[in-house]
Order: sequence, then C-alpha cells, then structure tokens
Amino acid sequence: MHNIIEACNLTKKFRLKKTGKGLKNLFKPQYKTVVAVNNISFAIKPGERVAFIGPNGAGKSTTIKMLSSILYPTSGEARVLGMIPWSNRRRLAYDIGTVFGQRSQLWYHLPVQDSFALMGKIYNVPEIAFKKRLSRLVRLFEIRDLLNSPTRSLSLGQRMRCEIVASLIHNPKVLFLDEPTIGLDITAKAIIRNLIRQQALEEETTLLLTSHDTDDMEKVCDRVIVINKGKLIFDDSLTTLCDSYLNKKYLEITTESGEKIRKVIDTRQIPVKKALDELVQTYHVADLTVENPPMEEIIKEIYNRGD
Amino acid sequence: MAAENWELFRFIQKSNLKTAFLSKGDAFVNILMMLINNFSFIFMWWVIFNDKGTINGWNFDDMALMFAVSGLSFALYAIFFRGVAELPQYIENGTLDSYIVSPRNLLFMASTSFSTFANWGDVITALTMYFLSGYVSAGGFILFLYLSFMAFLLTYAMRLILSTFAFYTSGTESLGNNILMTFLIFSNQPATIFTGIYKVIFLTVIPAGFVSLFPVALLKSFTWTEFAVFTLGTGGIFLLSLFFFYRGLRRYASGNRFGIR
Repeated sequence: MHNIIEACNLTKKFRLKKTGKGLKNLFKPQYKTVVAVNNISFAIKPGERVAFIGPNGAGKSTTIKMLSSILYPTSGEARVLGMIPWSNRRRLAYDIGTVFGQRSQLWYHLPVQDSFALMGKIYNVPEIAFKKRLSRLVRLFEIRDLLNSPTRSLSLGQRMRCEIVASLIHNPKVLFLDEPTIGLDITAKAIIRNLIRQQALEEETTLLLTSHDTDDMEKVCDRVIVINKGKLIFDDSLTTLCDSYLNKKYLEITTESGEKIRKVIDTRQIPVKKALDELVQTYHVADLTVENPPMEEIIKEIYNRGD
Repeated sequence: MAAENWELFRFIQKSNLKTAFLSKGDAFVNILMMLINNFSFIFMWWVIFNDKGTINGWNFDDMALMFAVSGLSFALYAIFFRGVAELPQYIENGTLDSYIVSPRNLLFMASTSFSTFANWGDVITALTMYFLSGYVSAGGFILFLYLSFMAFLLTYAMRLILSTFAFYTSGTESLGNNILMTFLIFSNQPATIFTGIYKVIFLTVIPAGFVSLFPVALLKSFTWTEFAVFTLGTGGIFLLSLFFFYRGLRRYASGNRFGIR
C-alpha cells in the first residue's frame, strides 16, 4: 500500500530576534536560530490514526503545519497524497482537513450553520451532497441544538465539536488535528476523542493528531510518534508504547479527612483493579483519580532505554 | 472558476452584511455619521472655492469629481476587502493559517474576511458628488466606474504592501494605518497644488496622484495616453504588491496565540 504521508529529513528553523536594550539593538538587531524540527522522517499509510506527541515546544505543531502547507520547511521533503504541500497548497486543501485547537475557523458572531454553509461554498461541495453530509455529521457529533447559536455563545467543548464538523464538510482523506482537546474539561475531552475515533473508523480517514496529553493518543490512535526538542525519538504501534512505557499508572486518592495519597503502580505486576481494591479497603476514600505517566516521564524513559 | 469565485464572494458579503445587521441601529447611525463627516469636509472646500474661484486651475467641479473617485475607490476597499488591513494581526497571531489551508486564493479569503458597513456612506457621497460635478454623461459614468475601480486597486495595493511588513517585523499594524491615512489625505487635496518635486512624490512614493490627478483629468478630457499611464501605473503597483506579499509569505512563521475569527 502506498504511503499517504511521507516526510524525509524534514527540518524547520526559525530566526528569532534577540531582545536587547539601546539604540544599537534597534539599528543592528541580533538574531538566534531555533531548530523547531530537526531532520525527521516518517511515513503514514492510508487509514492509520497516528498520534504525534511530545511536550510543549517539541515541534509537533510545526511539523503538522509543514505537512498541511502552512509553513515552508528549511530543508527536507514531504508529500501528502502524493503532493508537495507547500507547492500544491490549493489542490491539496480539497483533500485535507485541519483543526487547530487554539483557533477557530467559525465566524464569531454568526450562527454555526452559516459557517458550515460557507465551508461548503469554499470547498465547492454540491448542495445535495452538502446537506446529506452535514446531516450525518450533525447526528454523529450531536450538534443539532447548536446550529442556530452564534459561535461566541458556545462553550469550548461545543465549539470544538463544531470545528471538527467544519473541517469534515468536504470529506477529507487526511485530517490534521493540532491539540484538539486543549483547554477542555475531562468530559468534553472524552466526547471529542470518541467522536474523532468514530469518524475516522467509519470513513477510513487518515488521522495525524498532535497532543501533549497521552490520553488523546490512547483513546484515538493506533500508532504513536514521539517527538522531543524537534527530534523523532519513538515511532511504533500504540501497543508497543503501552507495553514498554505506559505500564505505570498514577493513583491519587483523597480520603474523607482530606488527606491526599499518591501511589505509582506497575501494571505488569499488579492490575489497576487490584490496586484500587487495596486502597479502598485501607482508606476511607472520598475521591480517586487514575492517570497515565506524564509526557515528560515517558520521554525520559525512552531516552534512558536508548542509552 | 470565475462563477464559483463570484458565488463565494457574494456569500461572504452576505455573511458580512448579516454581521453588520446584528445591530441595525448601529449600522445606520454609522452610515449617517460617515455622511455628516464627508459632507462637512466637502462643505469646507465648497466655501474655499466659493471665495477663491479656482486653485491652480481647479474649480469646485473638479474637486467634486475627485471626491467621487476617491470616495468610491475607498468604499470598495473598505466594504469588500478591508481584511487586507487585518493582515498584520493575522500574520502575528497565526490566524492566517485558516486562510492558507483553504482551497481558495489566500489573499481573496483573508481580504474579504472583514468589512466596514459604515463606508456605504462613502458610496452615497461618491455618487452624489459625481452627479453634482457637471461632467455627467453615460460614457463618462462608465469611465468613472472604471477609474474608481483602478483607484481601488491602488488603495488595496498600498495597504497590502504596508501589511506585508508584518512578515518582517512586528507591531506594524498602526504604522500601516497611519501611512495609508497619509495617502488618503494626499489624494483628497486639489491635485494641482503639487508641483515640482512634490508632484514627483505625489506620483511615486505616495502615489495619491493616481486617485486624484489622473481620474479628474480623464473625466474632464479623455486622452488615450493618460488612460494608458493611469492603467499601467495602478495595475503595476497592484502587481508589485502581490509580488511583495507572496515573497513575504515564505517567511511566515505562524504564531500560536489563541484566537477566533
């Protein structure tokens, strides 16, 4: 099967002006070069759901922006659907969808359905196909009640559901999602993850999702690429990552007296259920949370094993 | 393709109108204020010309033609393509991303993203001044529309060049607005007051002469030579602005500030 996305030695450097005082800096500013993405290569097959994860500033968004034609690379090559993104921007746009968690493509003051109609026009979706497709997406993403609300009145979670629908109106083959769950509460995150996964499975959409939240990758994707300081440090299936690096769980309980107790368990030695049972029997539990290790810890572990 | 773009343009303008009409009262008060503003300025010139008769060969009818062309050209820019003035902000906070990933022309999408309804007041002013100018004819009206359209291209180009600075340095939004304001002030003066070196500046560095001098001359007495100079001048500056923009675009770094369209 041909690859739908290919990146070969992709590098992006930014030239940043150093802040300084005085007239000298005004007339002769000094610059420093920051390597955001450093020589990374990978390939993605059609229908794969790939998580591109790493801590803040790792280079995830920069990579996704090069693949979706927003940024020119400093060096290296990339092809998406057989096209060089930055040279075939408009042609490629018909086949890709983009969701940026940090900004909106919806009109702020107008009802959401007007933004969808605009998307239909921009992507030349025929009227009948548009209605059919929107009706399916509205049902799937449960946004019927939001259609007449202006974007400004939506909660972040509601807005994100609408953003994803807007990016799917033209039935893209590849969907780029840049931090789609950023800023959302736990319930909204779970809904968004579930919807993205369901949509990708039903339409065999190839997904490339960036996040610094490991739960996004666990719930949505089947393959993981970990990037840190611009370098690719892990590229394998989710199962491999989970077996090798996600075998720890962080349990935190709050007792009825308000005391907080944290415990780290190795799920290869003790199942989560058993650990929870033990805690519940030992303490008067008022609240409990179970979390994956933070991103920084996984990266540290990957480096440690690489050494 | 042209039909599709025209349909999209109409749809975007309809959406912009809808946004403006969210507060109908505001929208119409703004138009009214624009009319008061415009006609107060015109009245001031009428008083001056009433007293002086002519200034360097221009009379009030010439001024009326100039107000007509500069008003309509600015209105076309402000009502339909004002988004070009928002480009520095789009470039700095990364909003430009949404337009880059669109399958339509990037500049078209970004420029049509913002509109100021109040400038319909300029359309009313421009048409009123044309019909009051004393140079009215069917052929003249078509020429007036053409000249206004080309002057609009020039205004758009000026703003685009200024907006393009944002690819190279930050905080250029107000600088761009100030320079464009200077251009507009120059283009709303009797063109004949600029002579010698000032006339050179008037047609090159601040090419306001293409909004006032040439259109008025052509509407009063048409010559193919002036028509060609005007068309090539405005068209050339427009093409140059596109070149600057797409060159600057290669430097786009896409910021990550939170925002909404």
